Amino acid sequence: MVVLLILVVIRISDQGLFKKDVKTAIEATRNNSNLLSPAELRQLKEPWMVVNIGTSDIPDSLQVEHSIKISFENLLDQTDRKILEGVNGSLILYSANVATASKAWIILNQLGFKNVFILNTGGNPEELKYKFQPDTTARLEQDSI
Amino acid sequence: MDPRLKYSTLLLGVGVILAFLPFDAAQTFRLKSGELLSKSAADNMYVSVDQVARFVNSEDSTVQIIDVRSAEQFKACNIPSSINIPFDDLQNPLWEATLNQKKVKNIFYGNGDQTASYVWTIATGLGYPNNFVMKGGLNEWFKTVMLSQYSGDKITATENALFENRLNARKAFTQINSLPDSLKTKFFNAKRLMQSKLDGGCN
Repeated sequence: MVVLLILVVIRISDQGLFKKDVKTAIEATRNNSNLLSPAELRQLKEPWMVVNIGTSDIPDSLQVEHSIKISFENLLDQTDRKILEGVNGSLILYSANVATASKAWIILNQLGFKNVFILNTGGNPEELKYKFQPDTTARLEQDSI
Repeated sequence: MDPRLKYSTLLLGVGVILAFLPFDAAQTFRLKSGELLSKSAADNMYVSVDQVARFVNSEDSTVQIIDVRSAEQFKACNIPSSINIPFDDLQNPLWEATLNQKKVKNIFYGNGDQTASYVWTIATGLGYPNNFVMKGGLNEWFKTVMLSQYSGDKITATENALFENRLNARKAFTQINSLPDSLKTKFFNAKRLMQSKLDGGCN
């Protein structure tokens, strides 16, 4: 039993392993509820920290008062991970490249980090900006259907 | 054999199995966090819209283009030969055989880069091989493939090939997406049937 207990403890304490179900990530992203606009960020009553994981600086126009910079590649290095774990309140990810912030968000969510958001500076990133104009004369050849 | 020794061996075996099994094998990331992070940071997870246009034109059977938007958005317009696996429905066990295979590359696209990046990270984290994202999504497809025009006096052979590729993909996109809804549904059903036959499923 002791051996069994030791093995389970080793398993639970391994920080490199993911422990969450992907369902939690899918549900948390529903209706973009994991995104925060700069205006919403300023209205947050609880403490927060913006983590810039992108390659460029946070634009001054966003008026982000407290932020730290951690490169995406080093996000889970021992020192940087400790910083992330020690954040008091919400952890807000920022990157000018929405793909970087999205990947980081999923990884942190699946590692069990709570109150993680993406700072969204450009409206709905999944909005289709173009409207398809159908060609009403187009028809497929019958045998290809 | 001493019963105490027998039970201890049994318990030890169960412990070893528990220690190496993920919490929920099907729905928990199998990759270690550092491994997933380094894969996520690499640039080789992207394909361009021009590459996807080439796959469409050549009906390349080594890739499957996966639209991760909602069924409604997919029905409105989609890249020819793509299949629809909405992000919200990603956990559905029905999709595992389609995504978790080594035969073809999975190329995900949404309207932008966000949803496709979510799906890429989840699929890669779950240990599914060969995942890619079409960079820029459908917005980039419209900008580059559907609306780009050559404006110059002379065209090089390379540029000519590039624009011909875009033109052919544009024609295929317009043709498929201009079908009336009834025909479109018939076309997608026929494709799904073909896919299930290829996967070894039943009708």
